[in-house]
Amino acid sequence: MNRRTFLKRGLIGGGILVLGGGTLAVLPTKELATPSKALVVLSPRSFQVLVAVARRVVPDTADAGAVAQGVDALLERAAPEARADFDKLLGLFENALPGLIFDGRILPFTRLSGASQDAVLRSWRDSRIAIRRNGYHAMRRLCLAVAYADEATWPALGYSPPSGLNAIAYDDSKVGAS
Amino acid sequence: MTKLALVRSSPNVIDGAAATADLELKCDVCIIGTGAGGAVTAAVLAEAGFDVVMIEEGGYYTSNDFTMRERDVTARLYQEGGTRATKDLGISILQGKAVGGTTVVNWTTSFRTPEDVVQHWHDKHAVKGFAYADLAPHYDAIEKRLSIAKVAEASMNANNRKLFEGCKALGWEADTLRRNVSACLQTGFCGLGCPVNAKRSMLVTMIPDAIDANARLVFRVRADRFETKGNAITTLHGTLLDAEGMTPTGKKLTVTAKRFVASCGAINSPALLLRSGIEDGGVGTRTFLHPVVGSAAIYEDEINPFSGAPQSAASHHFAHRDADVGFFMEAAPWYPSLSAGAVPGFGADHLAFVKQMKHTALHLALAVDGFHDDVPGGRVTLRPSGMPLLDYPITPRLWNMFRFAQKRLAEMQLASGAKEIFTLHDPPTRITAKADIDRLVDAAPYDVGRVPVYTAHQMGGCAMGDDAARAVVRSEDLRHHRIENLHVIDGSVFPTSLGVNPQESIYGLARLMATRLAARKS
Repeated sequence: MNRRTFLKRGLIGGGILVLGGGTLAVLPTKELATPSKALVVLSPRSFQVLVAVARRVVPDTADAGAVAQGVDALLERAAPEARADFDKLLGLFENALPGLIFDGRILPFTRLSGASQDAVLRSWRDSRIAIRRNGYHAMRRLCLAVAYADEATWPALGYSPPSGLNAIAYDDSKVGAS
Repeated sequence: MTKLALVRSSPNVIDGAAATADLELKCDVCIIGTGAGGAVTAAVLAEAGFDVVMIEEGGYYTSNDFTMRERDVTARLYQEGGTRATKDLGISILQGKAVGGTTVVNWTTSFRTPEDVVQHWHDKHAVKGFAYADLAPHYDAIEKRLSIAKVAEASMNANNRKLFEGCKALGWEADTLRRNVSACLQTGFCGLGCPVNAKRSMLVTMIPDAIDANARLVFRVRADRFETKGNAITTLHGTLLDAEGMTPTGKKLTVTAKRFVASCGAINSPALLLRSGIEDGGVGTRTFLHPVVGSAAIYEDEINPFSGAPQSAASHHFAHRDADVGFFMEAAPWYPSLSAGAVPGFGADHLAFVKQMKHTALHLALAVDGFHDDVPGGRVTLRPSGMPLLDYPITPRLWNMFRFAQKRLAEMQLASGAKEIFTLHDPPTRITAKADIDRLVDAAPYDVGRVPVYTAHQMGGCAMGDDAARAVVRSEDLRHHRIENLHVIDGSVFPTSLGVNPQESIYGLARLMATRLAARKS
């Protein structure tokens, strides 16, 4: 099953759920944060899902809303197809029906407890389906990359890079050439 | 001497984002891409009197922009903001995007192409147009121009020293590396753009040389496609981009030239040809990556892997393994954003890991791909948007190499005093004793999404060779077999990977080929 097929099946599953008017479909995505500026790549719903993911993935010192906003900005540089796939991935991750099928949960991801959310993340991580594993890593890595680019997370690492060195940069294109 | 600050403001340097009208340029030679291949070619041809125009999609960033903060620079200096990956997301691709290309963000390691690799190309890929002896004087010249010199053992940082000492303790070959730096301050931030211009990248050497020789440079412009007529290109069509190099401004670029040189690098040069309907010779196929697996080791003493020259030692002890895929070992720096994604886990588990960063060394095994029939590399195709997509299936033989290499990395790290080793699997495999290595690594899963694989070396996709059925460009001058005024001069022409970091191989080959082209003027 390739990535597009997997995403399509998951979305179709979600669509069937909505059309059927099942109990699971009436549970909307929980609003967890307000974007500080207009979203470029993520849908409003996907933004909330990513905030929920960030809360579980990144350290307490990081602002999960800012992390999700940072991922949105970063993805603006990705290929349009990759952006769309990531947005669909988040929709699938949130969706209760695939969640029921794969993880035995009946709530959208954003409405689960922290421990249950961790269990879902581990389920995707350990899945036999490569697309789920890759989806887990895509969400995880993007959140971590944005969070740890923020100086607020550095004291925990003992990381304190120098600054201002560009003031003493060599200004000679031939320096060192023999 | 050329003041770098003056180059950026030269009237020959045009910012596509600032253009208020469509740009129409005419020249002798239009070179698309300003990395290792394009910059050298531009300098040689401009100094020979050709009217040269360089085209670059990325921004013109200088040391003033290189703040040593990933938040400021990573998204701007890497392709797709650093998110580029293979089709199945199995391999993360680090590839530069700026005036100067990947040379702005590489870790300065400089090797000549190994002689046996050049001979292999001659014997197996019909590369008859040059021999190692033809390349040698061009390596000499490049090494002088870029201050390429061997690192003294005393200047290795702890990360590299552990690699060096661990290999030596096991009786494995290891050596210090050569770097293209001058009066390096050892800041450790080569991967984020050198803040002091000690790194002799194309940005501060050959591009200024080309501009000095009256070449023109247009940056923040995306090369969309070549327009062809018969067996010749008439025009390059491009799209001007905004100040972030992302969004079209609505303005267009057209360049008419006698010759065109694609120097966009592996992945992007094949994509430009494919967008132009030029597919013959297997454009996009045999793309190689030196795919990388890593091993993190915790030491009692401080490593501070973000400090000091990122790479100063390597081992090629396992580079030649006959029927099995070879690999070489190098160190990698740890910047928090880059490293956080590589470290396994999330939440408290992840935080506990990264809190040990100051005591952690990260060592890599880079696969030498392209020398075995069942390790054929990847294929570049086009997404519906026209952007490239690399499909690089990791074959069983390559997975087997990763497992073997993981064991050797662990042995080396334990031999250099590591108290605990983490593979980068999620969850990681933890190793504390040599006796456990085989059992633990054999039990670890090697599959897409189980263990991260990276690449910082992209090669192939427009292979050179004298058999037009299986090569895109001729080896004597890197001219396309059919299109009479198209050359490809960059890392995409390599018929295999190199088994060494690629920048100097590209410099040397580009200088040889540009010199041959320049000689034709007379």
